[in-house]
Amino acid sequence: MSDKSKGLSKVQEIYRNRSQRAKELKAAGKKIIGYPCVYVPLEMLTALGLVPYRTYGDIREAVTEADRALPTSFCPIMRTCLDCDLKGKNDFLDGMVTVHSCDPQEKTARVWESYTDYPYFHFIDMPSTVRPEAIEYFKSQLNDFRKTLETFTGQKLSADKLKSAIKAHNQQRALVQQLYELTKPVPPLISGIELVQVVKALMSLPVAEGNDLLTQVIGEAKNHTDVPKKKPARLLIWSSSLDDTDIMQIFETKANVVMDETCGGIRAYRGSVKLTTDPLDGLADYYMKEITCARTFRQATLGETKKDYAKDIQSRFGYLKGIVKEWKINGAILLLVRYCDPFAFEMPSLKDYLDSIGIPSTYIEYDYTIGALAPLRTRVEAFLETIR
Amino acid sequence: MYFAGVDIGSTMTKVVLMDTADRILSAIKGPTGPEHRQLANEVMRMALEQANLQLDDISYIVATGYGRVNVPFADAQITELSCHARGVSSLFPNVRTAIDIGGQDAKCMKIEKGKLVDFVMNDKCAAGTGRFLEVTAATLGIRLEDMGNISLKSTKKIQISNLCTIFAQQEVVALLSRGEKLEDIIAGLHDALASRVAALARRLKIEPDVVLTGGVAKNIGIVKAMKENLGFELLVPEEPLLTGAIGAAILAKEIYMKATAEGETISKRARLLEKATFFG
Repeated sequence: MSDKSKGLSKVQEIYRNRSQRAKELKAAGKKIIGYPCVYVPLEMLTALGLVPYRTYGDIREAVTEADRALPTSFCPIMRTCLDCDLKGKNDFLDGMVTVHSCDPQEKTARVWESYTDYPYFHFIDMPSTVRPEAIEYFKSQLNDFRKTLETFTGQKLSADKLKSAIKAHNQQRALVQQLYELTKPVPPLISGIELVQVVKALMSLPVAEGNDLLTQVIGEAKNHTDVPKKKPARLLIWSSSLDDTDIMQIFETKANVVMDETCGGIRAYRGSVKLTTDPLDGLADYYMKEITCARTFRQATLGETKKDYAKDIQSRFGYLKGIVKEWKINGAILLLVRYCDPFAFEMPSLKDYLDSIGIPSTYIEYDYTIGALAPLRTRVEAFLETIR
Repeated sequence: MYFAGVDIGSTMTKVVLMDTADRILSAIKGPTGPEHRQLANEVMRMALEQANLQLDDISYIVATGYGRVNVPFADAQITELSCHARGVSSLFPNVRTAIDIGGQDAKCMKIEKGKLVDFVMNDKCAAGTGRFLEVTAATLGIRLEDMGNISLKSTKKIQISNLCTIFAQQEVVALLSRGEKLEDIIAGLHDALASRVAALARRLKIEPDVVLTGGVAKNIGIVKAMKENLGFELLVPEEPLLTGAIGAAILAKEIYMKATAEGETISKRARLLEKATFFG
């Protein structure tokens, strides 16, 4: 065996065959609940002994079945997610939870519910700003979620159970943050491709198993010598979802990807959930405020009458400044999935912000299929040639 | 010493051989061919023959364009964006904005001191590319190369409202059956393409000098329509197809000279004058 760590080999095995563990657990009597978006509070599933399983689409599979139900000029991620479900690829799931993180997901939820046959289905409504009333409303939605989960499982979701689930998921967040520390050195100790594999593996496992796996990967990575080669550029990739190594490969051929802002990466693992007396308060606060997806608008001040653009973009993207410095990032790729309005609207302001802190960036659009990667490659390479 | 640039575009393959003083010794254009990139070695052979050189006489070869990867006789690959930027600024030292309209893409490049600093490209769609003109020329039953001159006779402004190549084709058929004149329809098509490319270019700040290149720049009607749509004067090279290959040859020289000056050994590929293959 090469110097590749055992933990990473295990990760790659899970990445290639994601549903295997979930199917084993199901055979052992566990209930597996799918979710297509990181805004679903997994703590609530874990607390009741349910196994959260992130469902993805498939960039290699042509969308056919979903076209019966969804328009074609529409979020390709939602189209392929629903398509995979309609083709029976996730038949082992006992339920599905979706959330109003964006309009395509909200509209798809209605279709999902009527076209699929899972024993449990729940849709969480979610506001798109972080005003106090919005957080209060989101908490009421989490209460509704709690009630349907209690009915489904026949168990009470007590504050104690929820708190211990929050602790386990917070530990996972802390471990993923440690994992991303491994990309700080030059060259990094772990590649962007490996990060995608690790995160996708985590999202296929119960939280405790994920934490064990992470502990192993981090422990071994510090010593293994089979590390990525040093490349001229150290990149940040910003995207809605980047969850396939073939896409990541395009960036890593001539650069090191050392940080991402995507939901196939660190997005679901920044910060931690506060343990509040009513644990739903901490959860509502975390999911509304701490996850930095373009679907939530973080305005600078409440009640301002005249917008200060510099202050506004500082409040929305300021967290990137320290990251850029600590990870020695010298370029950013803004990868837009076609028809993704929240990210398309966010992109120009983010570009302005990155300009203001001296980080060159380029935006690239793709349709979430493996088909035409050659034009993508040309755009990436040309960008790298400009920052060389 | 001699250097070569090989530009394998979606429609045409171009090879330029240069000496150390950037003099062009030979420049050959040939179709890329239906079997993608398979004729690159033929075009290279012709270029060598014209310059009376052997493959081994060439110190460094840079491949660019859509088919740049896996060219078995190239030493390095650089994107067409950097190569066009370099090639255009060697011909027009004051260029700040270059627009290239090729067979299947359109791109706009911002250039500072001969170097690419920013760019935009069309999305995955034939509107605003040479293919748009090829398809509509076929519908009209005329030769692609005649479109420019015919359009200059136009006296009536016809708006082609569809930018989608397929829908524009249907619209052209409808215009013909309505009895509109050929020259007016073609001028309308040129304007439709130019407005699309100009909108793309405006995503960057357009600054003079503005240079137009690519096979589509050979169409005088497009040059006219682009000037009107951009509101800038346009410079067009004598041979607008070659800027990518010229830039590739110049970059080949620069890479080679820099490496030798720094005492590095140049990593040259074991070259085979064989067909180029597709992306792995």
